[in-house]
Amino acid sequence: MSKPSDLVQGTLDLLILKMLALEPLNGWAIGQRLKQVSADVLQVSDGSLYPALHKLEQEGWVTAEWRSSENNRRAKFYALTRAGRKQLQLEATNWNRLARAITAVVRLQEV
Amino acid sequence: MSPDIRIERLLRVIPLRIRSLFRSADVERELDEELRYHVDQQTAANVAAGMAADAARTAALRAFGGIELRKEQVRDTRGTRWLEDGLGDVRFALRSLGRARGFAVAVVLTLGLGIGANTAMFTLLRGTMLKALPNRHGDRLVYLRLSATGEHQTNTLFSVPEVADFRSSSKTLEEIAEYSDVMPFTLVGSDTHMVRADVAVISGNFFRVMGLDAVVGRLTDAHDDGAAASPVAVLSSHYWMDHFGGDPAVLGQVVKLNGMATRIVGVVEPAPQYPNPVDVYVNTVTSPHHLGATMNTLRTHRMTEVFARLAPGATVDQARTEVSSIAARMIRDHPDAYQKASHYAVTMSTLRDAENARARLTFWLLMGAAVFVLLIACANVSNLTLMRGLGREREMLVRTALGARAARLRRLLLMENLVLALSGGALGVLIAFAGLKLLILFAAQFSPRSGEIHVDAVVLAVGLATSVAAAVVLSYVPRIGGDGGLASSLAPTSRRTTLGAGRRRLQRSLVAVQVAACMVLLTGAGLLVRTLSNLHAVSTGVRVDHVLTMSLPLGGDLLKEVMNLPANLARYERMRTVVAALPGVTSVALGSGEPLRTSMMAFDIKAEHQPTRPDAPTPRAGLVTVDPGYLEAIGVPRLAGRDFATTDQRGTTRVVILSKSFARQLFGTENPIGRRIAPTGEVLKVTPFTGDWRTVVGVVGDTHNDGLDGDVSPMMYEPFAQEVIISAALVVRTQSDPDQMKAAVLRTLRSNFPSQLIEQVATVAEIRDESVATRRLNAMFIASFGALALLIAAVGIAGVLAFSVRSRTAEIGIRMSLGADAVRVRRMVLGEGAGVLAAGLAVGAAGALFTSRLLSGFLFGITPHDPGTLAGVAALIGGIGVAACWLPAARAAQVDPATALRAE
Repeated sequence: MSKPSDLVQGTLDLLILKMLALEPLNGWAIGQRLKQVSADVLQVSDGSLYPALHKLEQEGWVTAEWRSSENNRRAKFYALTRAGRKQLQLEATNWNRLARAITAVVRLQEV
Repeated sequence: MSPDIRIERLLRVIPLRIRSLFRSADVERELDEELRYHVDQQTAANVAAGMAADAARTAALRAFGGIELRKEQVRDTRGTRWLEDGLGDVRFALRSLGRARGFAVAVVLTLGLGIGANTAMFTLLRGTMLKALPNRHGDRLVYLRLSATGEHQTNTLFSVPEVADFRSSSKTLEEIAEYSDVMPFTLVGSDTHMVRADVAVISGNFFRVMGLDAVVGRLTDAHDDGAAASPVAVLSSHYWMDHFGGDPAVLGQVVKLNGMATRIVGVVEPAPQYPNPVDVYVNTVTSPHHLGATMNTLRTHRMTEVFARLAPGATVDQARTEVSSIAARMIRDHPDAYQKASHYAVTMSTLRDAENARARLTFWLLMGAAVFVLLIACANVSNLTLMRGLGREREMLVRTALGARAARLRRLLLMENLVLALSGGALGVLIAFAGLKLLILFAAQFSPRSGEIHVDAVVLAVGLATSVAAAVVLSYVPRIGGDGGLASSLAPTSRRTTLGAGRRRLQRSLVAVQVAACMVLLTGAGLLVRTLSNLHAVSTGVRVDHVLTMSLPLGGDLLKEVMNLPANLARYERMRTVVAALPGVTSVALGSGEPLRTSMMAFDIKAEHQPTRPDAPTPRAGLVTVDPGYLEAIGVPRLAGRDFATTDQRGTTRVVILSKSFARQLFGTENPIGRRIAPTGEVLKVTPFTGDWRTVVGVVGDTHNDGLDGDVSPMMYEPFAQEVIISAALVVRTQSDPDQMKAAVLRTLRSNFPSQLIEQVATVAEIRDESVATRRLNAMFIASFGALALLIAAVGIAGVLAFSVRSRTAEIGIRMSLGADAVRVRRMVLGEGAGVLAAGLAVGAAGALFTSRLLSGFLFGITPHDPGTLAGVAALIGGIGVAACWLPAARAAQVDPATALRAE
C-alpha cells in the first residue's frame, strides 16, 4: 500500500474538486486522471478517494449520479455543484497563498 | 456564499441524510457496488498491463486498502453516523443478548430486584422524611412537650394556665395554637346512626398557625373562640372522603357531637396529622368541659397540646432556649403543681422532627439494608459480566483486528449494558410500584406522613440514574484490547490462560463481598426475629386464648351520662346476662376496660399510715373497675386475699385489689390486706372520682398493659358496681375459638341494645399481637432483604465456581491424567469455594458486629453482639454456600481427562 504524503492527503479535496470542474467523473477515473496529470508524482491511495468523495457529497459540493460507463457497467459519476465551484475557488486561493509563502521562505538566502 | 447557493446546497444535503437514515440498505448496496466497480477496473487495468488474473485482483485489492475498511471510512463521513450507530448498536446488543438469554435474564432479574428495593425505600424516605411539610412555611412550626417521670407521663400535656404563661412571655414564638384530642366523642349524622369519631378541640387560630387551607368552605378563626361562639366543625380530608363521599353539600349540615348540635363549616386540606389521626376539628364551645372553670384555672388539669409558629427572624435554638427559661420560671413560681421528684421538664422540637421521630431510625436502617442488597446485586452482575466478557474477548480481538477502534467497541458494550441495566431499572420501578400499597401500610405504622408517599418524577429519575451508572461501570469491567494480541489468543493453548490471575482475584473478592454483605443483613434479621420470639415468650399475665373482648362506651354527652349511674349499671349488667346465655360462652364479665389495654385513668395513690418519702415520686397506678369474675375470666392469678363479690356494692365499704408490683411499691414486704389507700392529687377536683379511703382486700398477678417490652403496669382494681362508670368493656370466655363467637355476640348485643356503640371487638390474642405488630413488620422486611441477598449471593457463588471449573477443564484433565482422582478434584474445587466463603464470613462477622449496634433500640432480651445469632447465620450462609459449590465440584470430578485435553 503506497501512503500518499500528508500534504497530498490534506489537499485531496482541492484535487478532486478541480478534476470534477473539468468534467464529471467516477472515482476510478479521478484516480487515473490524477496519476496521468501529475506524471505519477501524486500517488493517491485508491481507496482514500472514496471517503473524500462522499464527504464532499455530504457537504453538498458535489452531486452524484449513476450512469453506465464505457464498458456498459453502472458506475457512480460525481459532478461539481455551484457551491462546489465556490469552494474550489476558495481552496485554490488558499493553496496559492500557502505555496507563495513557502516559496518565499525556501528562497531565503542562506548565510 | 450567496444565499441561493446556500439554499441549493441544503436542498441537496438534507434528502441525502434522510436517505442514509431510512434507506440504509439501499445506500449500503450502492456503496458496495461503487467500490467493487473501482476494484474491478483496477483489476482489468492490471491484467491489461500483463499480470495474471489472480495476481491482478490481489494487487488491486491491496492497492485499494481493504474494501471493508474504506466502507467504514465512508460511513464515518456521514453526519447521521452517531444515530445510525446508536440504532445499530441497539440492534446488535439485542441480538447478542438474545444469544445469551440465561445471562440476560439473570442480570435483569438481579438488577431489577436490587434497584426495586432501593427505589421502594427511596420512595418511602422521600415521601415521609425528605420532603418538606405540606404546611405553609412548615419548617417554622414547633411542638412543645411537658414530661415527667412516672406512669403515663412522658407527655403529660399542658393546662390552660400553662399555655397562657408561654403565650404571654414568649417573644420567639409568634403565635401559639391549642389542640386537645383526649375527650371521647360520639357523632350522630343525618342517618341517626351513632358512631365514634376522633375529635380534636382546637383554638380558632389552629389552622392559621399550622399553615393549612380549606378545600371547601372555611376554617376556624378567632371568632370561633370563647363561650359566645356557636359550635362549628371542620372535617379532615379523609373523613370527608370516607364518610361523606367528598360531597361539597356537606357544608352547613348539622351533626350531633356528644349530643351537641354542631354545624360543619369546612374541610381542611390533606396534611399529616400529628400526634394522632383526627376525623373532626371543633371549637371549644362544642366541648362544655373545655369552657369550664377547672379547665381554665387549674394548673394541674392538663389536656392541651401546644403547636407554635416561630416569630420572623427567630431561630429554633433561640426559641428552645426561651421556652426552657419560661418553663423553669413557671416551675419555680408554682411548686405545688410540679412535684420535685417527678422532674417536670418542657422540651421543644420542630414539627417535622416530631413527626419523623418514630420513623427515622427504622427507615434509614431499611434504606441501608436496601443499599446492601443493591451492592450484592451489582457484585453479582459484575461477575456475570466478567464471565461473559471473557467468552467474548476473542470476538473483541477479532473485531479490533478488522479495524474497529477500542472506543467503538466500548460503545458497543455500553449499549449492551444499557439495554440490560435499563431493563433491570424498569423492572425495579415496576416492583416498587407494585409494592407501593404494602409500603404505605408499613410506613403508616411509623409516620403520620405516609399519605404523602407516591412514586414521582424524582424517584423515577433516581432509578434511571442508578441504572445508567450501573451500565457505565459494567462497561469498563471487561478488557477490550487484550494482552498478547490476536495471535496468542487464537493459539490452541490459549484456553488455559483465558482468565488472568488479577481477574480471578477480582471475581473471588466480589463473591467474598457478597457473602459479607449477606452476613451483615442476615445477622440483623436474625436479631430482630429472635427479639420477636423473646417478646412472644413474655407472659402477658392474662389468659390469651379463648377470650373475646369489646368496648362498650357510653354514648352522648359524657359528662351528663356519667351522672346516670344506676341506669347505666343496670343496662350493662343486662348486657352481661344476655351474652352469658349464648351457647359456647363459658363466662362473661364487665369491666371499665379491656385486658392488656392501657387504662384510661391513672392516679397518684397515698397509703394510710405509710410515710411518704419526699424525694421519691408519688406512687401512681392505673385504675380499672371490674366485676366479680372478671379477673378470673382473663386468667389473672389471685395471689392473696379474695376476689370482689356481689356484696361489694355502692354504699358498702369501698374495696380495692392491687397488682403485685404495686402492692410491693406501696407496702414493701408488709401484708397489704386490710390496709387502706386512696387516690390523691389535684386531678381529683376535675374527675368524678373521689379520694375516699379504700380497703385492700386482695392481691393479683401483674400484667403488661404497656406492650410486652415495657415494664409491668402498676394497677389497682375496684368493683365495677361500686365505682363511677365512665366506660365499659365486656370480657367473654368462650369454649371454642373466640373468633367464631364474634358474630354471635355482636348479633345478640345489637338486637337487644340497638343504640349501644360496640367497638374494638378483638380476642386477647389479637390485642397482644398488636403490641408486637410493628416489630413483626420490621423483622419481616429486613428478613426479606436478607433472604433476597442470600439468594443472589448463592447464585453468584455457584456461577463463579461453575465458570471457574469450565475454564479450567483442561487443567483438571491434566491433573486427572497425572493421577488425581475424582475425590481429589472435588476437594480442590470445594476448597476453592470454601476459601472464598470463609473470607467473606470473616469480613461479614466484623461488619455485623459493627452495624448491629445500630439495632440496639429495636432489640428485646438479646444483645447486638449475641454470639448465638452470629454463629447461626454463619452456619446458614456457609451451608448454602457449600451447597452452591457442590454441583460445580461434582461436574469437575466428572471431567474425562481424555476428552478435556482433546477439546483444544
